[in-house]
Amino acid sequence: MLDRFGEVVSLVLGVLAIGYLVYEIDRRQRKLHDIWDVLDGEDAVLTAALEDMVERGELQPFAGAALA
Amino acid sequence: MARATPKSPKPAALPESSVTQPLAQTGLVPIEKNGEPSAASRFRIFIVDSGWNSAARRVLHENFALIRDLQKEDPIYVLSRERSIEFMRRHGSRIGRDPIIAVHDMQALEKSGTAGFHGFRLSLGLLHTPEQALLGLQAFARFLVTHRNSADLEADIRAGLRREGLTGAIEIVMQHEAREIGV
Repeated sequence: MLDRFGEVVSLVLGVLAIGYLVYEIDRRQRKLHDIWDVLDGEDAVLTAALEDMVERGELQPFAGAALA
Repeated sequence: MARATPKSPKPAALPESSVTQPLAQTGLVPIEKNGEPSAASRFRIFIVDSGWNSAARRVLHENFALIRDLQKEDPIYVLSRERSIEFMRRHGSRIGRDPIIAVHDMQALEKSGTAGFHGFRLSLGLLHTPEQALLGLQAFARFLVTHRNSADLEADIRAGLRREGLTGAIEIVMQHEAREIGV
């Protein structure tokens, strides 16, 4: 009886541990995706606007050491 | 983990001219290679910063010189405060995420335009402590330098995110276990 109970507790704890790990990985990846994100079709308008500013010469590259 | 914060000669404020700061005002000159502006760069880097008084902003300003030196091959465009605010007003969901560093992959842009993958963005403003912001900037610089010649930048980014998520989770679990056993 005690053996059986111990097995069930171990199983539950194991499932909880794996669940926690999966949850943590997912949470971490979501957070990372918030901070680091790829530019794709959703950013097309913005990207085009920035590139357009560069082409028109409204934005010039910085080459100096520090922002002033 | 980084402990020291490399600093520029003096912390500086973002330029605040209407579109972008004229070179004559900033004392900066266009990037040139053999007398020609560097048009063949793999990346174009854009910095959008509406001016929140944040740790991320301070870290960016204090380390901009080093970022500039590490990314000599790629032009960096800094939007003025006014232009950045205009940007935030148009894209309200991004308020509070700035400074944002957007990197356009010119190779991808030339190949498939803006419809598909064409670069990546670091929302530095989401990193709330100086240490986090510095680590983010360092990861950004490292990634650009080490992936300059990448044939598939998108795959590299996605693989990196997966790996970081996994590593981070394992670190958390290990720290949790260490606390549990009193280490």
